[in-house]
Amino acid sequence: MASTTTPIISSEYVSPTRQRVMGFVFLGIALAILVLFAMQVEPDQLTTFKMKLPRSEVDIPNWVFSSSLALNILWVICALLGGYQLVRGFEKRTNLVLGLISGMFIFGFLTWATSGDSLNLAGLLRNTLLKAVPITLGAFSGILCERAGVVNIAIEGMMLTGAFVATVFGSLTNAWGGLIAGVLAGGVLAWVHAILSIKYKTDQIISGTVINIFSVGLTSFLSARFLAQPEYSYLNSPEDFEIYKIPILSEIPFIGPIMFERNIFVYAMFIFLFVLHFGLFFTRWGLRLRSVGEHPKAADTLGINVYRTRYMAVILGGMMAGFAGSYFTLGSVPRFDELLTGGKGFISLAAMIFGNWAPIGSLGAGLLFGFADSLKNNLALLKVAIPSEFLLMAPYIATMIVLAGVVGRGQMPAADGQPYEKE
Amino acid sequence: MNKKIFSLLTLLMVAALLLGACGDGEETEAPEAAATEAPEVVVTEAPPAETEAPEVVVTEAPMIGEGFTACEVTDTGGIDDASFNETAWNGIVNAEADFGISSAFVESQQQTDYDVNIAGFLDTCDLIIAVGFLMDAATQASANANPDQMYAIVDVDFFDFVAFEDITLDNVKELTYRTDQAAFLAGYVAASVTETGIVGTFGGMSFGSVTIFMDGFYYGVEYYNAQNSADVQVIGWDPAAQEGLFTGNFESTDDGRAMGVTLMDEGADVILPVAGPVGLGTAAAVQEAGNAWIIGVDADFTLTAPDFADVTLTSVMKNMDASIYDVISDLLNDLFVGGLYIGTLENGGVGLAGLNDVVSADVQAELVDIIAGIIAGDIQTRP
Repeated sequence: MASTTTPIISSEYVSPTRQRVMGFVFLGIALAILVLFAMQVEPDQLTTFKMKLPRSEVDIPNWVFSSSLALNILWVICALLGGYQLVRGFEKRTNLVLGLISGMFIFGFLTWATSGDSLNLAGLLRNTLLKAVPITLGAFSGILCERAGVVNIAIEGMMLTGAFVATVFGSLTNAWGGLIAGVLAGGVLAWVHAILSIKYKTDQIISGTVINIFSVGLTSFLSARFLAQPEYSYLNSPEDFEIYKIPILSEIPFIGPIMFERNIFVYAMFIFLFVLHFGLFFTRWGLRLRSVGEHPKAADTLGINVYRTRYMAVILGGMMAGFAGSYFTLGSVPRFDELLTGGKGFISLAAMIFGNWAPIGSLGAGLLFGFADSLKNNLALLKVAIPSEFLLMAPYIATMIVLAGVVGRGQMPAADGQPYEKE
Repeated sequence: MNKKIFSLLTLLMVAALLLGACGDGEETEAPEAAATEAPEVVVTEAPPAETEAPEVVVTEAPMIGEGFTACEVTDTGGIDDASFNETAWNGIVNAEADFGISSAFVESQQQTDYDVNIAGFLDTCDLIIAVGFLMDAATQASANANPDQMYAIVDVDFFDFVAFEDITLDNVKELTYRTDQAAFLAGYVAASVTETGIVGTFGGMSFGSVTIFMDGFYYGVEYYNAQNSADVQVIGWDPAAQEGLFTGNFESTDDGRAMGVTLMDEGADVILPVAGPVGLGTAAAVQEAGNAWIIGVDADFTLTAPDFADVTLTSVMKNMDASIYDVISDLLNDLFVGGLYIGTLENGGVGLAGLNDVVSADVQAELVDIIAGIIAGDIQTRP
């Protein structure tokens, strides 16, 4: 396929082959909506989306509409878009239209699944956002490290340790004390990772694996030995961050209660998104960080201290992972249980790759993974006959497709994973 | 340079494994077999000779009944899960206090650990207690290979699906529980308390020892509806299709929280999470939302998780501690007989913990009759 020679994400040129292929993809999705969904619902069935979160003060009526009418409109729009793509082509807007059509497919799927039943759409989106928080923050951690050329597969371990330390210090002091301690704990582990992989040029995968194993062993032992014992239970009830309503914004119907009635971790995710995106791509700091990840020798020649830059990036990345871990015990459930991160650190890595080593892309990937995770619960409640395992697989299949370069090739930092040897 | 890396790596590894391995400080005896086959070792580069078994904590009390060691192999989720693994461990702890036996446990971090962890206890333990349905094959294989070693396994009734006949081994006690009977009572109580008319449940993974709770819960609600001509709905489990809501793990409290929130979004105000510590995440969500209730499983949540006592309606007790205590007691008194044990309401193997004050006295009185009905076999508690 032509896309192997043209990175689509940044390119403005779309080859005729790709244009034709995409046209057929759009038509295929239209056909799928028609056959799988539109033809499966009864004409008089209604779809009810509840738009209000329980206990939310902003009142908003349910959204009720005819399932078959909505699905018919959806497939016709998709078919028209596909036809236009084949005849004239959307040129550089192809990916945008692809996103739009994917969105319509998912909406069609929800409409079909909910026909004759009801689904709390606001709740689904709120869960999506919350599930995305640790994944996206973890992906930010990965971006910081890998953009500087150091692979960090220890995000999971740093999260776990961060969660543990945040719990203990959050119990002894307050939520902020716990958060600072959790962030520092992630930083300390990252410092070990940095020494091993930058100074001693150990294989970065091995160093990361060691940290993961170390974290599981340490936290499980300390948890079983202390936190679980009744006499130490005061160490396992941290003060957590309360929900902070943003004035005015939280009054917006529908979106307000979903996005602006959350705790600081959700807001921090958006702040970090902005800071990281701006910092990486629009400041001297970011240029230097990226240069040691792309071509450390050139950076060194120009007088950039490669080692120091990498140390800085890895430790910042570890602190970010510690922050992500603190979410579990200070922002979600105020207690530590063994292995409570449940592999989210590894999913973060997938989100980072899916997001093409960029903050905005990673948030998108995090939201996608969060959506799939939340949707599977709602589908189980709606008794949709799709095994939930398949739905859980969906984001990873998408990641593999991205990695295979079908949708657009990801660009990993050129010197990612390579220790730098000064000559 | 190379030496430095190696020593640093080794130091880290040894520290990790030692921290995992060291126990109360009184005595640390890592089983020999596990030393070379410990699961941790596979991924690392540290020399096998220096490693020890992961997570082995050995405790010993200097009392009578010496020389007997009972060992628990936990399922994933950890010994301190405030529920499944911990309840089983409490049985050993009680026996330790009463008989002065020694004890040890090893935590399975993943399913591939089961064989290794069981094998690691072969030489040191008189009784190996495998806690969890997933250890079926590993335990059976080990018991067949070592006829002189005594075992107990929780939630498993050995069955040969090829010959289609029950398997009874002389050296294994199969501890199973009719938790549906106790969950039935919880369902009845939940239906009497709900204000929204919707109650919810979810499980960790879809296998028998989990879904049996959900079956009983569903039937209890249905029974309430029939008796009081009410129309309380159960979401999250469909006993006819045997399909429902599952987290897919027994570890992530964050997933448990999301489950709780989702069920409350759909209107449920009483939730039964059948997923060990994951349920504590649900409890946190319920506590934050207020106006809703949680039902504990395996152990009494008001005791194992006192932080959430104010939102705990009741708990479905699976008295593994009592039956494991009995197994140890039988072994010490030469009364041990291999085979199946079924915990029921009648023999106290399952039961309902104390009820929250919100449950009316009428309902409490009705429960007495229902229990009698279940024991007599008049009331059906599962499909």
